[in-house]
Amino acid sequence: MSNIVVEARNLSVMRGQTPVLSDINFEVRKGEVFALLGGNGAGKSTTLHTFLGLLPPQSGEAILFGKAVHSDVASVRSKVAYLPEAATLYGHLTAIENIEYFLSLAGIKKSSNEIVQALDRVSLQKEAHNQNMERYSKGMRQKTAIALALLRETPVLFLDEPTSGLDPVAIDEFNQLITSLAAAGTTIVMVTHDVYGACQVAHRIALLRRGALVGSFEADEGGKIDTETVHAAFAERAAS
Amino acid sequence: MSMFSSFTRELRFFLKQPAAIVLVLVAISLSVFSVWSGLSEVERQQETIERLLVADAKDRAAVLAKESDYGGAAYYSFHLTYDPPSRLAFAALGERDTSPWKHRIRMLALEAQIYESDTANAELAQSGQFDFAFVLSILMPVFLIILLHDLRASERAAGRHDLLVATSASDNNLWRSRAFVRVILLSIGVLIPFLFGAMVSGASLLSIVSVLGIAIAQILFWSFLCLWASARSYAGPTIASGLLAVWMLTTFVVPAMSDAFIEAIIPAPEGGDIILTQRESVNDAWDLPKEATMETFVKEHPEWAEYAEINRPFEWKWYYAFQQVGDQSVADMSEKRRAAILKRDKAAQWFAFLSPSSLTERSLTGVAGTDAKAAMHYQQHVRNFHGSLREYYYPLLFKGAAYEAITLANLPRFKALSDRK
Ligand SMILES: Nc1ncnc2c1ncn2[C@@H]1O[C@H](COP(=O)(O)OP(=O)(O)OP(=O)(O)O)[C@@H](O)[C@H]1O
Ligand SMILES: [Mg+2]
Repeated sequence: MSNIVVEARNLSVMRGQTPVLSDINFEVRKGEVFALLGGNGAGKSTTLHTFLGLLPPQSGEAILFGKAVHSDVASVRSKVAYLPEAATLYGHLTAIENIEYFLSLAGIKKSSNEIVQALDRVSLQKEAHNQNMERYSKGMRQKTAIALALLRETPVLFLDEPTSGLDPVAIDEFNQLITSLAAAGTTIVMVTHDVYGACQVAHRIALLRRGALVGSFEADEGGKIDTETVHAAFAERAAS
Repeated sequence: MSMFSSFTRELRFFLKQPAAIVLVLVAISLSVFSVWSGLSEVERQQETIERLLVADAKDRAAVLAKESDYGGAAYYSFHLTYDPPSRLAFAALGERDTSPWKHRIRMLALEAQIYESDTANAELAQSGQFDFAFVLSILMPVFLIILLHDLRASERAAGRHDLLVATSASDNNLWRSRAFVRVILLSIGVLIPFLFGAMVSGASLLSIVSVLGIAIAQILFWSFLCLWASARSYAGPTIASGLLAVWMLTTFVVPAMSDAFIEAIIPAPEGGDIILTQRESVNDAWDLPKEATMETFVKEHPEWAEYAEINRPFEWKWYYAFQQVGDQSVADMSEKRRAAILKRDKAAQWFAFLSPSSLTERSLTGVAGTDAKAAMHYQQHVRNFHGSLREYYYPLLFKGAAYEAITLANLPRFKALSDRK
């Protein structure tokens, strides 16, 4: 019981006058990878925003480490690293400068060695490390943002479409990275459109449609979820 | 996280933003230029005074050497009166720009001499000088608006807002320290040239501290307004337009409307009318029976009653008596004008609370002694000096003393209200 890290309890969220999430329930345990799947506008990003304290729940609760997010937003933010959907960092700064800046926002100081190691881990090419990011491709920006999230060394990762923009090799590497982080105890909530990748790495997959959970899949003993099943369910239930 | 570390973080961040740096540099240059132009204007005024003082003494000596009676001496000798610029005048030229701070007067009817160079409605006119007061009261809000309006909106537009907020331990702290760095750098940049100017001109510590206090109040007002606006979830240009609208309204529209309103409800006789009325009185005197003039004169100055008889076709005492009667004829108008100007000034002070820029400008000219009150004070000082000329000459003229050049050394000398305040 006590190892539940992320929990949605009858969570409903409005954006303006429109209900975007209605009565969502799920649990993610320590060291689990939880993947949220769903069509465009289903409410996946909104779910992450709510857990980050960027949006207030209309009713129900978003709970992290047993505490309602909105009762102590600052403590939640110190335990969660976030990879936004369209990860944009400062174009006039290099990857290293950007990472230094964002880490210092979180009150973290890393040596440039450690930063370079993290950038290597997401295989951002060496010659780009000291280039201003306005000259980065989408995938390079994505890699930098992932490196930033890793460097925060938080117990929880919220990743919004982490593989978007990544080439196939980088996606494979990323999936391995996620698996090893989870094995080391990091709890990961991931929004993705990559059904295949999700089935590879996730311990649990939830299908979201128009703000409601319409399906949930658990990994078998082999640690995998059957891609075909999820695909079929997605086509049948989640496509908007 | 400590305030200091957020400050140094945001300072380093700021120093990598060319656009913001350029804006601060522009503000610094404008402040430097305003201080320089204020200092050189003050220097020009001082040089003018010094030059005129030398010429004034020389002219009078030359005139007096030629004259052989008191009437002629009084008629031909001019006296320089002036109000030297205060040590802070460079920062806020105020009324010195629009109303006269020097006159050359002689013992003729005075009011026309005072108003000759003062026909404009100077008491409410906005200063046209590019001085430090202009930078602080008019331009500073614009710099603050440009630097602060899109603190959040620009990050939202760039898609970084959520990451910034989710990453920082306290996002309020983030926005505050970003704003703080910008406001501090801008303020230091704008205020240091002023401090330099104040040092050069030898302003007192108290007056410098007063100006800093006024500056801080103005900066804080606009900073908080901009911060409040920047926290709204509108797009950057929308927020900027809103703030600029407030700036234009309070800086230009409100003062213009309140000035028009004040002028309408507190009428003041025009300086030009005072001049005309007095000239008429003086000109008419030539055609009037001399007894009539002397009677009017004696009514106000009974001490000369026993000397008021005029026997010859031209006598200086009659001449100066009708000059003074000219002053008497507009004394009421002039008094009304002075009272109205002070009343308008008081009303403008109240209206200034609707306009931070006016309030700043007025406070600065108040500290610098360049406001309407100071101008009125100087004008009154000129009247007093002119009065002392009459006090000096009248006994000599009316009692018909024999001309003795030597007594002119005792002529009243104009002393400025203060050498430099
Ligand atoms: N800032 C916003 N203001 C108002 N409504 C919003 C806002 N952002 C999203 N929405 C609405 O909320 C709903 C859910 O959006 P959300 O971004 O959570 O979808 P998503 O599942 O992440 O979609 P996608 O796969 O396209 O990223 C959508 O209907 C969208 O129109
Ligand atoms: Mg999304």
